[in-house]
Amino acid sequence: MVEDALLAEMRALQDRVTGITGTAVASRDGLIVRGDTGGVDPDNLAALAATWLALAQRMSREAGQGMLREAMTRSVGGYVAIYAIGAKAVLVLIGDEGLDMAGLHRESVPALEAIGTLLVDPAPFPAAP
Amino acid sequence: MSAAGFTGALTVIGAPGGTIHLADGAVTAIDTPWSPSAEVVLLHSGRVPEADWEAAFTAAAVARDQLRAELLRRGLLGEGELEALLRTALADGMFAFAAGFVDSCRTEESPPGHPLPLEPAADASWLVTEALRRLDVLAAFPGPPLRPRDRVLSVPGAVRPGAFLGGGRDEILAAADGRRTSRDLAFALGRGLYVTMLQLARMRADGLIASVAPGLSPASDGEDQAEAASGGATVSGLPRRQKDRPAPPARAEDLPSRAARSVPRMLRPRSEGPSRPRDTR
Repeated sequence: MVEDALLAEMRALQDRVTGITGTAVASRDGLIVRGDTGGVDPDNLAALAATWLALAQRMSREAGQGMLREAMTRSVGGYVAIYAIGAKAVLVLIGDEGLDMAGLHRESVPALEAIGTLLVDPAPFPAAP
Repeated sequence: MSAAGFTGALTVIGAPGGTIHLADGAVTAIDTPWSPSAEVVLLHSGRVPEADWEAAFTAAAVARDQLRAELLRRGLLGEGELEALLRTALADGMFAFAAGFVDSCRTEESPPGHPLPLEPAADASWLVTEALRRLDVLAAFPGPPLRPRDRVLSVPGAVRPGAFLGGGRDEILAAADGRRTSRDLAFALGRGLYVTMLQLARMRADGLIASVAPGLSPASDGEDQAEAASGGATVSGLPRRQKDRPAPPARAEDLPSRAARSVPRMLRPRSEGPSRPRDTR
């Protein structure tokens, strides 16, 4: 099932990058596809992430800076980062105060690739009985 | 580094990586993703309210002055209290390096300054000795040695509902959800990595929590939890994930000796030349 493979990719990223405490994949129209977010409400997260990605991409264009790579908030209690997954989805990563930034930047790119592949190429429906 | 009286930063490449700040060969600060900083511990405990901390930080930045001086001037902390806190965080940072793997180090002579350096700076060899002592303490507990990246899970039914254990154990039981690692718990609770791991090791020995090696999914039912409680056995039905690095040592007696090779190397005197990557993997 695509959703379990998605969750596996999200968990693998969490294993590889110290300090990621939650992950979620949402559609561009703000609906949660898969969430592994700890205590954070995945529906709210998805809605906010979709809006934020759209705004961040507009900001990037407005500043003449081309394609958005990452948008991030840095707060007293940690970080939230979002990434576009192709044109149809958004990846949300929640990190605590000890988030390994270098690890995040290194691992997010291949993770986005892998997750994007899952979304573009879901398992075919089983043949009708 | 110590013998040469090095001043600057040592960038540590490994798991964890991080930075060791040095002044005249002594350690002033350590940053690493595996150990909560003094700031994290202070804010989590509520000892300094968030708004007061931010105000002090901003004022120090604006005045291009030391955060330490600003915190003391505003009466947010006592001088001795701050020194003790920074020293504790430093020891915990060094323990984090000892509990992981150091691949290599590189020096930076003029790095950006650290916002809250310890003054007077700490003796490097004392920090290393203490880190290794702490590893020995953890290795003495029964079962496979608890590691910072092990996920931990409260054992259901181990504590009577409504019982209060005290000593910080109730917060650990509440936070040990099978997703969080020992290191994650330290950050979630705003406590040092070592004190958290020591508490977890005791609780695991008492049957209150179970640990699962990284890369495996947490146990999802009673039967799997019994397997997990045996110290990292494969949770039935779920594939073992491929890992990029070889598994950390499984035997308790391996752990101190690996750290003993890696941690002192970070502080090798300059005359021995640059550190080489570890050749045993």
